[in-house]
Amino acid sequence: MSVTTARPEPAVASAAAGTSRRRRRRRGSGMDRKPRFAVAVTALFFVLLYLPIAAVVVFSFNTKKSLTVFDGWSLQWYRAFFNDRELTHSLGTSLEVAAVAMVGSVVIGAALAFGLVRARSRLGAAANAIMLIPLITPEIVTGVASLMLFKGVYLEPGLATLMIAETTFSISYVTVILRARVAELNPEIEEAAMDLGASRMQAVRLVTLPLMWPAMLSSAILIFTIVFDDFVLAFFTTGVSPQPLSVRIYSAIRFGVQPSINAVGTLMLVASILLIVLALVLPRLLGRHGSGLDLFKS
Amino acid sequence: MTADTLTATQPTATAGRPAVELVGIGKTYGEAEVVKDLDLSVEAGTFFSMLGPSGCGKTTTLRMIGGFVDPTRGDVLLHGEDVTDLPPNRRDVNTVFQSYALFDHLSIWDNVAFGLRRKRTGKAELRQRVGEMLELVQLTGRDKDMPRELSGGQKQRVALARALVNRPSVLLLDEPLAALDLKLRRAMQVELKRIQREVGITFVFVTHDQDEALTMSDQIAVMNEGRIHQCGTPEDIYERPTTAFVAGFIGTANRMTGDYRDGGLVLAGDMRLRTGELEGCREGEQVTIAVRPEKIWISDLTPEMVQTDGLVKATVYGGPTTTYLMEIAPGVELAVLEQNLQRARTEDRWTDGERVRIGWLPEHCLVLH
Repeated sequence: MSVTTARPEPAVASAAAGTSRRRRRRRGSGMDRKPRFAVAVTALFFVLLYLPIAAVVVFSFNTKKSLTVFDGWSLQWYRAFFNDRELTHSLGTSLEVAAVAMVGSVVIGAALAFGLVRARSRLGAAANAIMLIPLITPEIVTGVASLMLFKGVYLEPGLATLMIAETTFSISYVTVILRARVAELNPEIEEAAMDLGASRMQAVRLVTLPLMWPAMLSSAILIFTIVFDDFVLAFFTTGVSPQPLSVRIYSAIRFGVQPSINAVGTLMLVASILLIVLALVLPRLLGRHGSGLDLFKS
Repeated sequence: MTADTLTATQPTATAGRPAVELVGIGKTYGEAEVVKDLDLSVEAGTFFSMLGPSGCGKTTTLRMIGGFVDPTRGDVLLHGEDVTDLPPNRRDVNTVFQSYALFDHLSIWDNVAFGLRRKRTGKAELRQRVGEMLELVQLTGRDKDMPRELSGGQKQRVALARALVNRPSVLLLDEPLAALDLKLRRAMQVELKRIQREVGITFVFVTHDQDEALTMSDQIAVMNEGRIHQCGTPEDIYERPTTAFVAGFIGTANRMTGDYRDGGLVLAGDMRLRTGELEGCREGEQVTIAVRPEKIWISDLTPEMVQTDGLVKATVYGGPTTTYLMEIAPGVELAVLEQNLQRARTEDRWTDGERVRIGWLPEHCLVLH
C-alpha cells in the first residue's frame, strides 16, 4: 500500500517543480535528488491536518478556561467532564449505539458477504454494486433520507431509530471488507469438512468461522469506531434524549465552548486510535492473513 | 439361483457387491447436460481411474459419488446400498480435493484428526491412528506444523492422510497431482500406488493425464462429453480402443479412412492398402483404421504384415527413439516410431525424400467405429 501511494508523489513534484529542477540540473543526475517541493507540500499537509487536533489535545490540559492562552498543565477539565452528568450519559449512549451497530452490522454483513460471493447469480452482481452506494452517498443525504423514512413510518426519533440507522449504514462497510475475505476462501474447505463427517452447521462453525474470525474482528472494531464518532447520521436520527456524545458536543458548543469538550475530544481521539491499531494488529497477532484491513501490506 | 433371488429381495449392503455402482446417472445444469445417463461399476479394492479431457464430466461424476452434487437422474450405490439421497457426511467415502482444501487454521495433526473427532473416536485410538497415518505418508514429526509451512507435495500427503485415516470404503481423488511439478508428480504416482496397495481401499481417481492413468490404474474408464467411451484395463484401453476418441486420446494413433473393398482399404488417390479382412466391416463401407506409431516396422518386414510404401517427410530425433513422418497416400501421413537400436547414428537414419517399405501385423490394425 505504502509503495503505491508514494509512487505518484515524485511525478507530481517533477511536474510542479519542473522549472527549478531544470536550473539545477548540473548538480546531479536529477533522479536521485529529493523532490523538495513534494516534501514541503507533504509537510504542510500534515501540519494543517494535525495542528487543530494537537491544539485540542494541548488545551484539554490547560489550567485556564481560555482557548487561546495556555497557562499550565492540569487535569481539571477531565474532572469536569466526568462530573458532568449529561456528557457522561451521552458517552454511555454512544458506546451503547456503537456496540449494537457493531454486532448487528457484522452479523448481517457477514451473511450478506457470503450470499453475494456464493450466489453467483446476476442479481448478486447488481447487489454488489448497490452495496457500494451507501459508501459514496454524502452522509447528509443518508441522514435526511433516514429522518424522512422514520417520519414516514411514524417512528419517533430516539435510541431505536439511531441504532437502526447506524446499523444499516454500517452493513456496507462490513460487507465490502468481508466479501474480499469470503472470495478468498476455498469453497472446497467446507466440502472437505462435510466429507470428513461434519454437518453443514459444524462445517461453518469448525472451519469457515475460524478462518473468517480475524476479518470479522477487524471490521467490528472499525464499525465501532465509525459509529462512535459519527455525527451527521446521528444528528438526524436521534431524539432530544438520549443524545450520543457527538451530538451533545455539537449542542454544547453552540452555548460557548467549554474546555471540558477538549477533554472529551482527546479521549475520543485516543480511544479511536487505540481501536484502529487493534483492528490492524490483531489479525497479525493471530497469525492470519487477508483481514481486509491489512493497510501495512506492501 | 438362490443367490440371485437373495440379492433381488435384499437391496441392502452385501459383501461382494461392487464398491461403487452408478446406475443411469445424469447431471444437467440448466441447458448443459454434463453427465449423460452413465453406468459404471467399480470392483472393491481396485485402483479405478476416470480419464478424459477437461469438461468431460469426470469431476462431476466423482462429486456425485461423494455427495457434493445431486444427480438429476439415476442412482449412486456404495457396496450395494443406495446412497443417492445421503449428504456427504453420511457416506462411507472420503475425498482428496484438487486444491487439497486443508484447514489453514489447524495444525497437521488436527487436520488429520478432524474426521476421527467428528466420529468421537477415543483418545488413545485417535492418537494411534493419526500417528500411523502420518507415518504412512512420511510426515512423522511435522504434526505440529501449520499447512502454510508445507510444500505442495507435503500438503498433498496431508490431504491424503486426512481422508485415509477414516478408513473409508472408497477414496475419491480429484486430480490430486495436477498442481505438482512433473518430477514430484512421478514420485507421488508411485507413492499413491504403494499406499493404495498397502491399505487395500478402493481408489476412484480422476485425471486428464493419460500416462498417470495408464501407469497407476487397475481399471480405466475413458470419458468424453459426459459419456463413458470405454472401460477396461490399461492394456485394453491402449491396445484395443473401441472408439476413435479413445484411440486418439490415449497415446497417438495413425488414422486412415477409406472405402472397404475386396479385403482392402482404398485410400485417397486410389491407393490400395491390403489390410486383409477387417472384422465387422461391410463391403463398400467407409472405414477408419488406426495403427500405433510403435507398431509399425521399417525393417524386418514379414509376409503376413500389411505392407505399403512410405515417403519420408520429416525425421524427429527424440533420444531413445526417432519418429519418422511418412506419406503413404496423398494427404495420408503416418508417424512411425523406431527405437534407436540399429540406426542410432544420424547417417544411418532415413532422410527426407527417401522411399521406405513399412508394415504392421494385422492384429495391430484397429478398426474404429
